[in-house]
Amino acid sequence: MTPIQMTFSTMFLLGLMGLTFHRTHLLSALLCLESMMLSLFLATSLWALQLSTINIATVPMLLLAFSACEASSGLALLVATARTHGSDHMQNLNLLQC
Amino acid sequence: MSYLVCVLLFGLMVGSVGVASNPSPYFAAMGLVMVSGVGCGVLICFGGSFLPLVFFLIYLGGMMVEFAFSAALSAEPYPYGWGNRSVKMYVAAYVLGVGCAWKVLLGKWSGFWGGILDESGELLVLRGDMMGVAAMHDVGGWILVLGGLGLLLTLFVVLELVRGVSRGGLRTV
Repeated sequence: MTPIQMTFSTMFLLGLMGLTFHRTHLLSALLCLESMMLSLFLATSLWALQLSTINIATVPMLLLAFSACEASSGLALLVATARTHGSDHMQNLNLLQC
Repeated sequence: MSYLVCVLLFGLMVGSVGVASNPSPYFAAMGLVMVSGVGCGVLICFGGSFLPLVFFLIYLGGMMVEFAFSAALSAEPYPYGWGNRSVKMYVAAYVLGVGCAWKVLLGKWSGFWGGILDESGELLVLRGDMMGVAAMHDVGGWILVLGGLGLLLTLFVVLELVRGVSRGGLRTV
Protein backbone atom coordinates (compact mmCIF):
# COMPACT_ATOMS: atom_id res chain seq x y z
CA MET A 1 0.00 0.00 0.00
CA THR A 2 1.36 3.42 -0.82
CA PRO A 3 1.77 5.92 2.04
CA ILE A 4 -0.89 8.29 0.76
CA GLN A 5 -3.44 5.49 0.46
CA MET A 6 -2.53 4.37 3.96
CA THR A 7 -3.04 7.92 5.20
CA PHE A 8 -6.54 8.42 3.98
CA SER A 9 -7.57 4.88 4.90
CA THR A 10 -6.31 5.47 8.41
CA MET A 11 -8.10 8.82 8.54
CA PHE A 12 -11.35 7.10 7.59
CA LEU A 13 -10.91 4.39 10.21
CA LEU A 14 -9.96 6.91 12.89
CA GLY A 15 -13.08 8.94 12.15
CA LEU A 16 -15.16 5.77 12.22
CA MET A 17 -13.72 4.79 15.59
CA GLY A 18 -14.32 8.29 16.93
CA LEU A 19 -17.91 8.06 15.73
CA THR A 20 -18.36 4.62 17.30
CA PHE A 21 -16.86 5.45 20.67
CA HIS A 22 -18.59 8.81 21.04
CA ARG A 23 -18.52 9.69 24.65
CA THR A 24 -20.44 12.74 25.80
CA HIS A 25 -21.49 15.06 23.02
CA LEU A 26 -23.55 14.36 19.91
CA LEU A 27 -21.65 17.15 18.17
CA SER A 28 -18.31 15.34 18.48
CA ALA A 29 -19.84 12.31 16.77
CA LEU A 30 -21.00 14.59 13.93
CA LEU A 31 -17.53 16.09 13.66
CA CYS A 32 -16.00 12.59 13.37
CA LEU A 33 -18.50 11.93 10.58
CA GLU A 34 -17.20 15.08 8.89
CA SER A 35 -13.65 13.79 9.16
CA MET A 36 -14.75 10.59 7.40
CA MET A 37 -16.23 12.68 4.59
CA LEU A 38 -13.01 14.68 4.45
CA SER A 39 -10.95 11.50 3.99
CA LEU A 40 -13.31 10.38 1.21
CA PHE A 41 -12.90 13.74 -0.54
CA LEU A 42 -9.15 13.39 -0.28
CA ALA A 43 -9.29 9.84 -1.65
CA THR A 44 -11.44 10.65 -4.68
CA SER A 45 -9.46 13.83 -5.48
CA LEU A 46 -6.22 11.88 -5.37
CA TRP A 47 -7.78 9.29 -7.64
CA ALA A 48 -8.54 12.00 -10.18
CA LEU A 49 -5.11 13.60 -9.83
CA GLN A 50 -2.82 10.60 -9.65
CA LEU A 51 -4.39 8.40 -12.32
CA SER A 52 -5.07 11.37 -14.63
CA THR A 53 -8.69 10.31 -15.06
CA ILE A 54 -9.93 13.85 -14.88
CA ASN A 55 -13.61 13.04 -15.34
CA ILE A 56 -13.58 11.53 -11.86
CA ALA A 57 -12.96 15.06 -10.52
CA THR A 58 -16.74 15.51 -10.53
CA VAL A 59 -17.04 12.88 -7.78
CA PRO A 60 -15.41 14.95 -4.99
CA MET A 61 -17.61 17.95 -5.81
CA LEU A 62 -20.80 15.91 -5.67
CA LEU A 63 -19.57 14.14 -2.55
CA LEU A 64 -19.11 17.54 -0.93
CA ALA A 65 -22.62 18.63 -1.89
CA PHE A 66 -24.24 15.53 -0.44
CA SER A 67 -22.04 15.61 2.65
CA ALA A 68 -23.24 19.17 3.24
CA CYS A 69 -26.82 17.81 3.11
CA GLU A 70 -25.95 15.17 5.65
CA ALA A 71 -24.10 17.55 7.95
CA SER A 72 -27.00 19.99 7.96
CA SER A 73 -29.48 17.20 8.76
CA GLY A 74 -27.26 16.09 11.62
CA LEU A 75 -27.02 19.60 12.96
CA ALA A 76 -30.81 20.00 12.71
CA LEU A 77 -31.12 16.86 14.84
CA LEU A 78 -28.64 18.41 17.28
CA VAL A 79 -30.74 21.56 17.54
CA ALA A 80 -33.87 19.46 18.11
CA THR A 81 -32.03 17.52 20.83
CA ALA A 82 -30.84 20.71 22.50
CA ARG A 83 -34.41 22.00 22.40
CA THR A 84 -36.01 18.95 24.02
CA HIS A 85 -33.25 17.70 26.31
CA GLY A 86 -31.52 20.95 27.13
CA SER A 87 -28.07 19.84 25.93
CA ASP A 88 -26.61 17.37 23.47
CA HIS A 89 -25.26 14.93 26.01
CA MET A 90 -25.53 11.35 24.81
CA GLN A 91 -26.60 9.89 28.13
CA ASN A 92 -29.78 11.97 28.08
CA LEU A 93 -30.95 10.27 24.87
CA ASN A 94 -32.44 7.28 26.63
CA LEU A 95 -36.11 7.34 25.71
CA LEU A 96 -35.88 3.95 24.00
CA GLN A 97 -33.89 2.35 26.79
CA CYS A 98 -35.64 -0.49 28.57
CA MET B 1 9.53 17.87 -2.17
CA SER B 2 8.76 14.38 -1.00
CA TYR B 3 9.77 15.44 2.51
CA LEU B 4 7.06 18.09 2.37
CA VAL B 5 4.53 15.38 1.50
CA CYS B 6 5.81 13.32 4.46
CA VAL B 7 5.30 16.24 6.83
CA LEU B 8 1.83 16.95 5.47
CA LEU B 9 0.78 13.31 5.79
CA PHE B 10 2.00 13.34 9.38
CA GLY B 11 -0.05 16.50 9.96
CA LEU B 12 -3.11 14.73 8.55
CA MET B 13 -2.61 11.85 10.97
CA VAL B 14 -2.13 14.14 13.98
CA GLY B 15 -5.27 16.11 13.09
CA SER B 16 -7.33 12.94 12.61
CA VAL B 17 -6.22 11.53 15.94
CA GLY B 18 -7.15 14.86 17.51
CA VAL B 19 -10.63 14.79 15.97
CA ALA B 20 -11.28 11.17 16.93
CA SER B 21 -10.17 11.58 20.54
CA ASN B 22 -11.55 15.05 21.15
CA PRO B 23 -12.25 16.10 24.74
CA SER B 24 -14.85 18.62 23.62
CA PRO B 25 -16.39 19.65 20.26
CA TYR B 26 -14.31 22.84 20.21
CA PHE B 27 -11.12 20.80 19.92
CA ALA B 28 -12.62 18.50 17.30
CA ALA B 29 -13.49 21.53 15.19
CA MET B 30 -9.93 22.79 15.61
CA GLY B 31 -8.62 19.40 14.49
CA LEU B 32 -10.85 19.51 11.40
CA VAL B 33 -9.54 22.98 10.54
CA MET B 34 -5.99 21.62 10.73
CA VAL B 35 -6.85 18.53 8.65
CA SER B 36 -8.54 20.57 5.94
CA GLY B 37 -5.62 23.01 5.73
CA VAL B 38 -3.03 20.25 5.55
CA GLY B 39 -5.20 18.22 3.14
CA CYS B 40 -5.32 21.24 0.86
CA GLY B 41 -1.51 21.20 0.92
CA VAL B 42 -1.41 17.48 0.09
CA LEU B 43 -3.68 17.95 -2.92
CA ILE B 44 -1.52 20.84 -4.13
CA CYS B 45 1.58 18.65 -3.83
CA PHE B 46 -0.08 16.06 -6.03
CA GLY B 47 -0.84 18.52 -8.79
CA GLY B 48 -4.31 19.87 -8.15
CA SER B 49 -5.30 23.48 -8.43
CA PHE B 50 -9.08 23.79 -8.16
CA LEU B 51 -9.90 20.86 -5.89
CA PRO B 52 -7.61 22.01 -3.05
CA LEU B 53 -9.25 25.44 -3.15
CA VAL B 54 -12.70 23.87 -3.02
CA PHE B 55 -11.57 21.70 -0.14
CA PHE B 56 -10.24 24.65 1.84
CA LEU B 57 -13.14 26.99 1.12
CA ILE B 58 -16.03 24.63 1.60
CA TYR B 59 -14.70 22.90 4.67
CA LEU B 60 -13.49 25.99 6.45
CA GLY B 61 -15.91 28.59 5.21
CA GLY B 62 -18.94 26.33 5.00
CA MET B 63 -18.87 23.43 7.36
CA MET B 64 -16.73 24.81 10.14
CA VAL B 65 -18.82 27.96 10.43
CA GLU B 66 -21.91 25.78 10.87
CA PHE B 67 -20.17 23.58 13.41
CA ALA B 68 -18.84 26.58 15.29
CA PHE B 69 -22.35 27.98 15.62
CA SER B 70 -23.65 24.60 16.76
CA ALA B 71 -20.83 24.29 19.28
CA ALA B 72 -21.80 27.70 20.62
CA LEU B 73 -25.42 26.49 20.79
CA SER B 74 -24.66 23.34 22.78
CA ALA B 75 -21.89 24.88 24.82
CA GLU B 76 -20.99 23.96 28.34
CA PRO B 77 -19.24 26.40 30.65
CA TYR B 78 -16.34 24.14 31.68
CA PRO B 79 -15.33 21.82 28.82
CA TYR B 80 -12.71 19.12 29.24
CA GLY B 81 -9.21 19.83 28.00
CA TRP B 82 -6.52 17.64 26.51
CA GLY B 83 -5.11 16.80 29.94
CA ASN B 84 -8.13 14.81 30.99
CA ARG B 85 -7.26 11.22 31.86
CA SER B 86 -9.73 9.43 29.63
CA VAL B 87 -8.81 11.68 26.70
CA LYS B 88 -5.13 10.84 27.14
CA MET B 89 -5.98 7.12 27.11
CA TYR B 90 -7.93 7.54 23.87
CA VAL B 91 -5.10 9.51 22.24
CA ALA B 92 -2.58 6.85 23.31
CA ALA B 93 -4.79 4.05 22.01
CA TYR B 94 -5.31 5.73 18.62
CA VAL B 95 -1.62 6.60 18.21
CA LEU B 96 -0.66 3.02 19.11
CA GLY B 97 -3.21 1.62 16.67
CA VAL B 98 -2.06 3.87 13.86
CA GLY B 99 1.59 3.08 14.58
CA CYS B 100 0.98 -0.68 14.56
CA ALA B 101 -1.04 -0.50 11.35
CA TRP B 102 1.67 1.55 9.65
CA LYS B 103 4.42 -0.77 10.83
CA VAL B 104 2.60 -3.88 9.66
CA LEU B 105 1.26 -2.63 6.34
CA LEU B 106 3.90 -0.15 5.35
CA GLY B 107 6.99 -1.65 6.94
CA LYS B 108 8.54 -2.78 3.67
CA TRP B 109 7.81 0.43 1.74
CA SER B 110 11.09 1.79 0.51
CA GLY B 111 10.00 3.85 -2.45
CA PHE B 112 9.50 7.58 -2.53
CA TRP B 113 6.67 9.00 -0.52
CA GLY B 114 5.24 11.47 -2.93
CA GLY B 115 6.07 13.60 -5.84
CA ILE B 116 4.28 15.75 -8.32
CA LEU B 117 2.89 13.66 -11.14
CA ASP B 118 2.72 16.04 -14.05
CA GLU B 119 1.84 14.80 -17.49
CA SER B 120 2.30 17.93 -19.50
CA GLY B 121 5.71 18.99 -18.23
CA GLU B 122 4.99 22.68 -18.66
CA LEU B 123 3.29 25.47 -16.76
CA LEU B 124 -0.42 25.47 -17.30
CA VAL B 125 -3.21 27.69 -16.03
CA LEU B 126 -6.08 25.25 -16.54
CA ARG B 127 -5.00 21.99 -14.97
CA GLY B 128 -6.66 18.62 -15.12
CA ASP B 129 -8.89 18.78 -12.11
CA MET B 130 -10.45 22.05 -13.18
CA MET B 131 -11.33 20.44 -16.50
CA GLY B 132 -12.88 17.53 -14.63
CA VAL B 133 -15.05 19.84 -12.58
CA ALA B 134 -16.06 21.65 -15.76
CA ALA B 135 -17.21 18.29 -17.09
CA MET B 136 -19.72 18.22 -14.25
CA HIS B 137 -21.46 21.17 -15.87
CA ASP B 138 -21.08 19.83 -19.39
CA VAL B 139 -21.85 16.12 -19.68
CA GLY B 140 -22.91 15.78 -16.06
CA GLY B 141 -25.71 18.31 -16.27
CA TRP B 142 -28.40 15.96 -15.03
CA ILE B 143 -26.49 14.93 -11.91
CA LEU B 144 -26.03 18.63 -11.16
CA VAL B 145 -29.80 19.16 -11.38
CA LEU B 146 -30.30 16.12 -9.17
CA GLY B 147 -27.81 17.47 -6.64
CA GLY B 148 -29.59 20.79 -6.61
CA LEU B 149 -32.95 19.10 -6.03
CA GLY B 150 -31.39 17.06 -3.24
CA LEU B 151 -30.09 20.20 -1.57
CA LEU B 152 -33.53 21.81 -1.85
CA LEU B 153 -35.06 18.72 -0.26
CA THR B 154 -32.50 18.91 2.53
CA LEU B 155 -33.53 22.49 3.20
CA PHE B 156 -37.10 21.39 3.78
CA VAL B 157 -35.96 18.43 5.90
CA VAL B 158 -33.92 20.72 8.13
CA LEU B 159 -36.72 23.24 8.49
CA GLU B 160 -39.11 20.45 9.45
CA LEU B 161 -36.68 18.94 11.97
CA VAL B 162 -36.12 22.17 13.87
CA ARG B 163 -39.72 23.25 13.83
CA GLY B 164 -40.43 22.16 17.36
CA VAL B 165 -43.55 20.86 19.03
CA SER B 166 -45.92 23.77 18.46
CA ARG B 167 -47.00 24.43 14.91
CA GLY B 168 -45.57 27.85 14.45
CA GLY B 169 -42.48 29.74 13.58
CA LEU B 170 -39.00 28.84 14.74
CA ARG B 171 -38.71 29.18 18.47
CA THR B 172 -35.57 30.27 20.22
CA VAL B 173 -33.78 27.39 21.87
